[in-house]
Amino acid sequence: MIRDKRSEYLAALILVGPFIAIYGLLFVWPTIQMVMLSFTKAPLIGPGQWVGIDNYVKILSHRLFQNATWNTVYFVLLTVIPNTLVSLAIAMAVNRLRGWKQGFVMACFFLPYILPVSVVYLTWNWIIDVQYGLIQYIVRPFNGGEPMSLTRTIPFFMPTVAVVTIWWTLGFNVLLFIAGLRNISPEIYEAASLDSAGRWRQFRKITWPLIWPVTALVLTIQLIAQLKIFDQVYLFSIGGRQDPTIVMVQYVYKLAFQQNKGGEGAAAATILFAIIIILSVVQYQALRARGEK
Amino acid sequence: MNKTMKRLALVSTVLMGLTGTAFAQQTVVWWDFLAGGDGVRMKALIDAFNEEHAGEITIEGTTLEWGTPFYTKLQTSAAIGEGPDIATYHLSRMPLAVDSGTLSEISDEDLASVGLSDDSFTSAAAQAAKVDGVRYGVPFDQHGLILYYNKDMLEAAGMLGENGLPTGLDGMENFESALAQFTKDGAYGLSMPTGDRYRAVYSFFGQQGGTMFDADAGGFFPSDEDVAKLTTATETMKRWVDNGWTPAQIESPAALALFTSGQAAFFINGNWEVPTFTDLAAKGELFEWGAVELPVLFDQPAAWSDSHAFVIPANAGKDADPDKRAAVMEVIAWMDEHSLDWAGAGHIPAFNAVRESADFQALKPQSDYAGFAATAVFDPRTILAGPAAPLGDAWTNYIVPATTGELDPADAAMQMRDDLNSQL
Repeated sequence: MIRDKRSEYLAALILVGPFIAIYGLLFVWPTIQMVMLSFTKAPLIGPGQWVGIDNYVKILSHRLFQNATWNTVYFVLLTVIPNTLVSLAIAMAVNRLRGWKQGFVMACFFLPYILPVSVVYLTWNWIIDVQYGLIQYIVRPFNGGEPMSLTRTIPFFMPTVAVVTIWWTLGFNVLLFIAGLRNISPEIYEAASLDSAGRWRQFRKITWPLIWPVTALVLTIQLIAQLKIFDQVYLFSIGGRQDPTIVMVQYVYKLAFQQNKGGEGAAAATILFAIIIILSVVQYQALRARGEK
Repeated sequence: MNKTMKRLALVSTVLMGLTGTAFAQQTVVWWDFLAGGDGVRMKALIDAFNEEHAGEITIEGTTLEWGTPFYTKLQTSAAIGEGPDIATYHLSRMPLAVDSGTLSEISDEDLASVGLSDDSFTSAAAQAAKVDGVRYGVPFDQHGLILYYNKDMLEAAGMLGENGLPTGLDGMENFESALAQFTKDGAYGLSMPTGDRYRAVYSFFGQQGGTMFDADAGGFFPSDEDVAKLTTATETMKRWVDNGWTPAQIESPAALALFTSGQAAFFINGNWEVPTFTDLAAKGELFEWGAVELPVLFDQPAAWSDSHAFVIPANAGKDADPDKRAAVMEVIAWMDEHSLDWAGAGHIPAFNAVRESADFQALKPQSDYAGFAATAVFDPRTILAGPAAPLGDAWTNYIVPATTGELDPADAAMQMRDDLNSQL
């Protein structure tokens, strides 16, 4: 049956049209507006005078912005790779279970992922509380028998929030890895066993290379998510020092919503947007290239 | 919720049409940020108002989250004409509100229409409600930092006068020896949340007569003397921490628990904790307690203070409706006239008639500490001031860590000055 080209185009247009329209209206257009806003001296609401790249010059030399950038990078280092490795290890363990046990254990690991951030924050805030926290039993021996606030002691803040974040978000990655592991044909492992390859060797030569595309995907999703970190850091730092642990989205929030500087906030947001796009594209390409070798 | 309201309104309009009576029923949309003990009392006030004004004015109240969320939402919604008819506001934040064009002016005529004027309120609050001589809010209360004390502990130490009020706490030496005396066997002289320490530091700064902000003299802490005074105030708090008279690092709930469990003789915090203790005492779960003004440790009495006020958002694109405004003014005046109930939440009514009434004088411990209203130090008049604003951030970023020894007090004072001046 020969189809008319035009009716095919029409069908395609009808199918993707609504998405394109909504995407354009709710994402592309506001993004363009935000970039335009970043060249003005606008408050949070209303128009402002055109100032060219002044906002960018001001922000890039701002101590707090440099702080926020470093903290965000530090947080990415603390979470992205550890989260991926832990998720892979858990996925491989869960993958060896069968039947209802597998489902149950998987559900247990996935449960934290569906919790809203406020619940995660409150739960962990109790766990690490100075006066009553369970974690203080572990902290005390290392702190001369004294309790210590992990979120009010600046050097411990980021690692603590990183651990909480990994606990909270690894469920989804475990799911991706399990899907990937199930795609590896058992026959390959059987053949390897016949050739008397040990577990480690099987992992090195079979699992790792074959799971690599999923690993690359997980790493990229993680990188984007952690560059946009805000909620946990903000919640844990309420009532304490915010400047030393400020992250980039928090910096945007501070400029726009606390200081009523819409233009500068937009400029900071644009810089963050650019960083995320560049880093994730570079990372994904690099990882793909590695995988294709 | 809104839908049902609208439906109800529709139904009632239809019914009114049927019965043939037609009078202008005004609905006043109200936003506040009052939670906890404040929220309970404000809800009761709103209900009482609605009952008294049935068929004339109805307040539709919504409570939003205190701090940045509230103020951001108010500003953005007013900018597109979707804001409420009336909102609660902190007077310290007025300059920022006016700078962002969120509020509409409340003229002398508006006040006079419901029998009010500047003279109806404490002068500090009446002044704080204005920016460059233009009024944008009507004061409701003044709240500030006070000293709560455990009567049993003070009595045992012979520090309680005949009238049940503490004696001999004024003067640095006296107060510090009291703190030292109560610090033993795991108990502390003083409990207060680490995050709120800056309010005490600001009070001690005020007690030395320091100037925090002067636009003409160069911004924040204009003279070296002012920086030195801030340093001294910070060092005072640090000394109390170093000597172990107060816990170095403690969150709000734990600080409260320390005092209510009888493990601290004194507790310094805002007067909003009064309902907490009142309720506990009513259940018979608390010792004899009281609250007084902060002791004078330096040259003059002073305590950090702020004020809740009512404002009328400038809803863009909405025509001024004189009937609506009359209803809103009626709400404001009624609330101020009934602010004795609000004093139950620990706040000092800004409305003179209520504050000077015999009923308020009989209110304990409120009338014991009401004097702070006269010597209050408000946040300076700058767009950086107010709750959840840069000034608060600077306090927690520099001064609070200086009290725990993370920063040197003198450095912290200078850093705070420079950071704030860079944001002007």
